[in-house]
Amino acid sequence: MKVTCKIWRQESADSKGNFKSYETDGLTEDMSFLEALDHLNEILVLKNERVVAFEYDCREGICGQCGVFINGRAHGPHDHVTTCQLHMRSFKDGDTIVIEPWRANAFPILKDLMVDRSAFDRIIEQGGFITAKTGTAPEANAILISKEVSDKSMDAAACIGCGACVATCKNASAALFTSAKINHLNSLPQGRPEAHKRVLEMTQQMQLEGFGSCTYTGACEVECPAEISISNIAEMNARYLKAKLLS
Amino acid sequence: MSMFFRKSVVATTGLFLCIFLIVHLSANSLLLLPESIARSLYNSYSTTLRESTLINVVGYILYLSIILHVVYAAIITYKNRKTRSVSYAVNHKSENSSWASQNMGFLGVLVLVFIVVHMANFWARIKLGIGESVGLDTDGYVDVYQVTYDLFHNVYYVLFYSILMIPLGFHLFHGLKSAFKSLGFYHKKGLRILAKISLVYAAVMAIGFGIIPLIVYFK
Ligand code: HEM
Ligand code: FES
Repeated sequence: MKVTCKIWRQESADSKGNFKSYETDGLTEDMSFLEALDHLNEILVLKNERVVAFEYDCREGICGQCGVFINGRAHGPHDHVTTCQLHMRSFKDGDTIVIEPWRANAFPILKDLMVDRSAFDRIIEQGGFITAKTGTAPEANAILISKEVSDKSMDAAACIGCGACVATCKNASAALFTSAKINHLNSLPQGRPEAHKRVLEMTQQMQLEGFGSCTYTGACEVECPAEISISNIAEMNARYLKAKLLS
Repeated sequence: MSMFFRKSVVATTGLFLCIFLIVHLSANSLLLLPESIARSLYNSYSTTLRESTLINVVGYILYLSIILHVVYAAIITYKNRKTRSVSYAVNHKSENSSWASQNMGFLGVLVLVFIVVHMANFWARIKLGIGESVGLDTDGYVDVYQVTYDLFHNVYYVLFYSILMIPLGFHLFHGLKSAFKSLGFYHKKGLRILAKISLVYAAVMAIGFGIIPLIVYFK
């Protein structure tokens, strides 16, 4: 299989980038998309050219490191799939594949396809945790939680922080990410003591980082590999308005 | 000022305007009746509205809502545009979101153009008395019916009024359901029903308002 990869190349954070096309031969349909990039990089090494920088860790769809914009879609042509779980069988022989980094001012480009997503970490630092004593784990049944509540919390906790929501959003909004992190904790009894503070401070940080607001286009929930529902954003709004009124 | 405040203003004023549109369309449906009945009904109804203190107060809330909605929507749209300095070379938005949702600002501007012309045609003439003065009907009511009748016998106005109801429909289709989300309605099944209601509401408004000028034209 042979494709043309049109890739965004950028030397460093402050240099100007541009697209470069690479004819990539010797691919097979069962290669993952990242393996295809590895393959291209091997060719580049042999040619003594600078390899394409891209991020990954688990390569099994759970760490959220691997996001890139492929042919006009976050994580490529399929819904709810990470880049590492995309395979070359989704493309045809002879295709041109346009590969870009996430584009958002809050996610500055570091190099080629790698962006700096530490804005997400700073949002988490504002309350994406519960303040609890460390030590031995408490008895699991000491706090009873209904199945519906724990399921709902788990659904929100499924967010892997890949940034596809921001990347695909026309406003580069981090509302889906932030709402998932808030609802995950605020819907549980363990998260309740700090619930108002959490929603106010995490959303405050989200705004300080320069992410946009939500227009409910719904693009985020379509691209989200963890299938986080956009109803989380509405729930965050409810929690925010409640916290504002009560504090 | 937080984005939540701005969105709440756009959502609240938007919902108020949505309710207004229902009342407005119901009243304007009188224009669809045969002229003999429609003229007196429409004129007496509009006179009653003009003379009611309550309606006048609601009227001022309405003007304020339009202004706040436009101003805050403009601020939101402007700020959101600044979040991505370099746009994607290829971006297939239509595969993950509706066209209306991606173009609320553009649709809003078209609606604003409509509102300005519409207010100049009716509000300025009837309420402010700017332009040609409006006569009385046989019952002694200000003949608002004649104003609409004359306006909608001008092909250009008929086309303008009817065609601009299409962007209004798209704006309402996305706006109605979004406003509920902005104000914190997050029940999943409820949101699915709401999406259907928004579609029906938008279609009724666009077709309802859009068809009136055409019917009056052919009367
Ligand atoms: C009949 C008149 C109008 C009605 C009933 C209406 C209704 C609505 C509603 C219900 C929303 C949803 C609010 C939300 O997302 O929370 C909305 C959003 C919006 N409206 Fe309007 N609107 C009207 C006129 C206008 C006008 C004249 C403009 C601008 C010139 C405008 C610009 C916008 C924009 C830009 C948004 C989206 C804001 C965002 O990005 O979230 N609208 N509208
Ligand atoms: S590399 Fe971990 S999710 Fe793709």
